Amino acid sequence: MFEIAIRKRLGGFTLNVELTAPENQIIVLFGPSGAGKSMTLAAIAGFVSPDAGRIVVGTQVLFDSDRQIDLPPQRRRIGLVKQDLALFPHLTVEQNITYGLFREPAEAQQERAQLLLRRVNLDGLALRYPAQLSGGQQQRVALARALAPKPELLLLDEPFSALDAPTRMQLRNELLNLQRQIRIPIMFVTHDLGEAYFLADRLAVIDQGKILQVDTPGEILRHPCCLGVARAIGVKNILSGEVVGRDQAGCRVRVGEVILDVLPGEFDIGAQVNVCLRPERVMLLRPERADRSSNENTLQGEIIHEMSDGMMATLFFRAAEARLSADATRDYDLQIELPVYIYERLDLAHQRRWAVSLRKNAIHLIGG
Amino acid sequence: MFKRKPGARTWFHHLSVGRLVFLGAVSVLLFFLVLPLVAVVWRAFPFRSEGWLNASTFDALRLSLFTATISAGIAIVIGTPVAYFLAREKFGGKAIVDTLIDLPMVLPPAVAGLALLMAFGRRGLLGPTLSAIGIELPFTTAAVVMAQTFVAAPFYVRAAKAGFISVDLGLEQMSALLGVSNLRTFVRVTLPLAAPALFGGALMTWARALGEFGATIMFAGNSQGRTQTMPLAIYLGLESNLDSALALSVILVVVSFGILAAVRLVSPKGFTLG
Repeated sequence: MFEIAIRKRLGGFTLNVELTAPENQIIVLFGPSGAGKSMTLAAIAGFVSPDAGRIVVGTQVLFDSDRQIDLPPQRRRIGLVKQDLALFPHLTVEQNITYGLFREPAEAQQERAQLLLRRVNLDGLALRYPAQLSGGQQQRVALARALAPKPELLLLDEPFSALDAPTRMQLRNELLNLQRQIRIPIMFVTHDLGEAYFLADRLAVIDQGKILQVDTPGEILRHPCCLGVARAIGVKNILSGEVVGRDQAGCRVRVGEVILDVLPGEFDIGAQVNVCLRPERVMLLRPERADRSSNENTLQGEIIHEMSDGMMATLFFRAAEARLSADATRDYDLQIELPVYIYERLDLAHQRRWAVSLRKNAIHLIGG
Repeated sequence: MFKRKPGARTWFHHLSVGRLVFLGAVSVLLFFLVLPLVAVVWRAFPFRSEGWLNASTFDALRLSLFTATISAGIAIVIGTPVAYFLAREKFGGKAIVDTLIDLPMVLPPAVAGLALLMAFGRRGLLGPTLSAIGIELPFTTAAVVMAQTFVAAPFYVRAAKAGFISVDLGLEQMSALLGVSNLRTFVRVTLPLAAPALFGGALMTWARALGEFGATIMFAGNSQGRTQTMPLAIYLGLESNLDSALALSVILVVVSFGILAAVRLVSPKGFTLG
């Protein structure tokens, strides 16, 4: 069990974080640079003292402003892996790993180092120096070192972001395997949404020093609680609208010049809402098939720009008759993402006139 | 007639005006720096025993090695914690403390000597107090050490401070999180990583102390075997025993070279005052 509720003011920045994580879970703290992720970790590790609040790991109170408890880092029993790793460059791999075990007899140290080296797949590298290892190997040493003193909580601060993509994928998988063995809460900090989604049992979205939402990654992706979360998780289409109709079957929302059908929800007629639609959930239809009754919220239009990173294509769709966007400076209404192979199969390079269907279950409303 | 392949360039094709200016300047400077050194070594040989083997030469050598080592030792013992503190802590008036510590490096040594005399001399600020408890500092070997330490210690503090700053704070934090006390962290992480800078600084301090002249002669005087260090003996020897002065000079030239070589060896980037 891991519990944190702290406030910290530093200059014009205020950190206000509340989180709990059950044992044996990975909680991912996800947010943009400067959101307060690293400061949160620094507070948990004891490098900075919060102004007020409480930090509890297991049964141990690390910080409690009411009871004037503020344990030094030495007594917090926390393992940390940072992006820059902070391996001791003058010590070998084994000496790095046993660094925190100096109170134990030499044999016990060596045994533990051997066990951990096996666990992180570094057998045979005990006598190397950090500079003689690859980035991924250094990463594993840092992890083994953090685990050596048997911490009650493991903090991982963007540990994989300096690595190449294949190594990163592999280490993520290894971390999940490791997680099953060590059975302590892990707090993982990242600004990479894919990484957050992959690793998180619980996902906490942080921005400007505040936790905006905590939930399972799937739930956050489907139902972001607010605009900050929606933007952070890559909802490219956020359109302002107004609820104009409501009955058992659902609501009707006017967006620009269009009325959209949406699922029943909490909003009353007249409410201002933000209509969120993930770009990969916009369905392309051949223009002549748009009128079929099974299609929801269809719009005719054309693709006016596109971009691609080689795997995914982003299309900018402009509605022909009724515009969705009230923003006159924007020449498109919707961003659509699809894999490049589909882009090619549909011959999107030449075929520019399309209809789209905005399915009800793809539309999420946030109060405005 | 000579033929060359098209495109191949001979050495003078590389010469430009800028290069000529550069080469000229380097030549002048090297000539100016090297010629006196060559001259002093050339004049000291052939080996003349009355220069190398007389008592005053030996006394000066022994006294210099002794006092410079003590001075460097004092600089290390007191300077290391000061340097660490200055490297890690922020406090009001830090710039003033930094400047005060650096001051002796630019202060003329004669002024330093006079200042020491005014502070610790018989009629100095602390003179009567020291006399009362039976301590007479001026014109003793202790005074030599004080003069050398005053002038040379800042070299160590600056180098050590730069060395400590170069040790990532994140390493010390990591050590703390691994359960290791601050003192043990200092010994196991900070000190080993700063060691080349500390060693380089100590060598430079030792060399500076070895060459100290102005402050020593003002504060400690010039008595053979007690306060007459090598630079003082060289100065005196100019009138009485030129061979002895030359011999001591050659020793100091060799030692200086050795120190710079050693400093380069321990830190690839060489000595920095930063």
